[in-house]
Amino acid sequence: MIYGDKDTGVIVQGATGKQGSFHINLMNEYARSVGGRGVVAGVTPGKGGREVCGVPVYDTVKEALAEHDATSSVLFVPAGAAGDSIMEGAHAGLDLIVAVTEHIPVHDAMKAIGYAETMGCTVIGPNCPGLLSPGELKLGIMPAHLSSRGHVGVVSRSGTLTYEVVDELTRAGIGQSTVVGIGGDPVIGQTFADTLARFEEDPQTKAVVLIGEVGGNLEEEGVKSTDLPIAAYIAGVTAPPNKRMGHAGAIIAGGEGDAKSKIQRLKAMGVDVASRPSEIPGIIKRLL
Amino acid sequence: MKLLEFEAKELFKQHGIQVPRGVLISDHEEAVLNLRKVGPNVVVKAQVDVGGRGKAGGVLMADTDTAVIAARELFAREIKGVKVARVLIEERLDIQHEYYVSITIDRSTKHPVVLFADTGGVNIEETAKTNPDAIRKVSFTPLLRNIPRFLLRELIRDAPAEVGETINKLYHVFCDRDALLAEINPLVTTPQGVYAADAKLIIDDNALARQEIAVNRDLTRREREAERHGFSYVELDGSIGVIGNGAGLTMSTLDLIEHFGGKAANFLDVGGGADKDRVKYAVELVADMPDVKVIIVNLLGGITRCDEVARGIIEAGVEQPVIVRLAGTNEKEGKEILAGHGYQMLGSMDEAVKAAVEVTA
Repeated sequence: MIYGDKDTGVIVQGATGKQGSFHINLMNEYARSVGGRGVVAGVTPGKGGREVCGVPVYDTVKEALAEHDATSSVLFVPAGAAGDSIMEGAHAGLDLIVAVTEHIPVHDAMKAIGYAETMGCTVIGPNCPGLLSPGELKLGIMPAHLSSRGHVGVVSRSGTLTYEVVDELTRAGIGQSTVVGIGGDPVIGQTFADTLARFEEDPQTKAVVLIGEVGGNLEEEGVKSTDLPIAAYIAGVTAPPNKRMGHAGAIIAGGEGDAKSKIQRLKAMGVDVASRPSEIPGIIKRLL
Repeated sequence: MKLLEFEAKELFKQHGIQVPRGVLISDHEEAVLNLRKVGPNVVVKAQVDVGGRGKAGGVLMADTDTAVIAARELFAREIKGVKVARVLIEERLDIQHEYYVSITIDRSTKHPVVLFADTGGVNIEETAKTNPDAIRKVSFTPLLRNIPRFLLRELIRDAPAEVGETINKLYHVFCDRDALLAEINPLVTTPQGVYAADAKLIIDDNALARQEIAVNRDLTRREREAERHGFSYVELDGSIGVIGNGAGLTMSTLDLIEHFGGKAANFLDVGGGADKDRVKYAVELVADMPDVKVIIVNLLGGITRCDEVARGIIEAGVEQPVIVRLAGTNEKEGKEILAGHGYQMLGSMDEAVKAAVEVTA
């Protein structure tokens, strides 16, 4: 297990919105099915004292933590306020925040993640589906029915593509140790390297599927940092190039970032790269 | 969204960065009226959003006698296919030295990164390739309001201190305006001080509302329409229309189309929790492009209800064949509904994409 297990107590920030309440239900259904603790409290400023899906709601994370034993939160706060809520959670002493919210302004994400780091708080996301350790813990919005318990870690920048790959693995009889969606935004908390470092420490994980996208070089940095066998898939080989970043983008990237050259570099590092998602189970079977 | 030079310079000015004296005109008649404000020697610059504008003939040198002719010339011209609607006439600076500076975000460190070169101007990308050491780079925690002075010194070395102060002001622009990129190329020294001779600013699309920008000009008509509904939508030049949920799955569908020898005409990402009306609208929007011969709908997820999606596709009732791959809640019902109306629903992404490519082959 990485990031948490059955005993992890969870808070939902942004609990009373449509998404928040919907997913409190799904997370707690999952927790009941595996004998876990699940979501113990919700937080929405101004809605303290209510109850949502059988869970008490507080105005602040601090108040929630005074009443409940929790170490992690899942965040559904609307984009404009999400950066502040991440800082609130980190300040109150949470160990882990899974930020599901999409469309957070990148300057907010950068500051909030920077602040969380100084408080010793780990952030996954934003703009991510969260994580699922089959049989143990679900933090976020991943559909649990596609997964099965096993020895393959999955780490991905994309939500739905992750479900696709998990579905392929499960159908091929390959179970997963933990599935982590790290988010597709330009600035994210946990990177491939961070999550792979956790997989490396995890006795349950024997191999990893890495699902990347065009842009940046987080995939290469991740691969460099681990000895685990890796099957990779990079989406966006045919994506139209984004020319909007001008000089600085070109200088920083220096030819890095597009999917084709990224695939070349990964292969040069000895990684098995699938040309389509359906090839991944075959590669994993060879690696195990 | 990318701002035009004159818009970026207006914001620079508000943050205390010196920019050349200038007037913005929308026809050459206005040039006659305004020339005196700018002064004997001028630069006449087309306000178009294209890279390499100078080399493409969008910037002309002129004086009081020739400025109107230069402006008329630019209004009659297209710069890399873009019509010139506005022209900026600026005083010509007495340039002593040109520098390059830009601020952006480094994805690996998650920190702002400042790039600086002693030699600015049009050849900066060439410099980046042939002499990368000439471009210096510093990055630091985003929790600071100012760039630490020691880092500024490390960055600019022998350049005048005023250059460093201007870079710090540019950092304020970068933060306060939610910029993904703030660039001055060239940043010039003159006997009158340091000036931003050109200006580039790209604003984070997720922050347009709080920057009080109402319309994202970077989008086409259909793209803007799609954005209004919370879709992301991009047009390409093939014949297969693509609808997916999530950027990764949608991109992967495009890659698979190419893998099986087809070409996508466009793609639309419906995002999470697509209901009947959203699916209907998405199908209509994708089908609206005349090049689209077949549409593939590839949706996967926990909260997507397949029966809703199926009803949306049927209600749209577009002329083109629609090939569907759905996985989620109520999968069986969705399949039955679609089959009842003559639509194909396939079990895997590979099968669905192959079927779509066959239609266009």
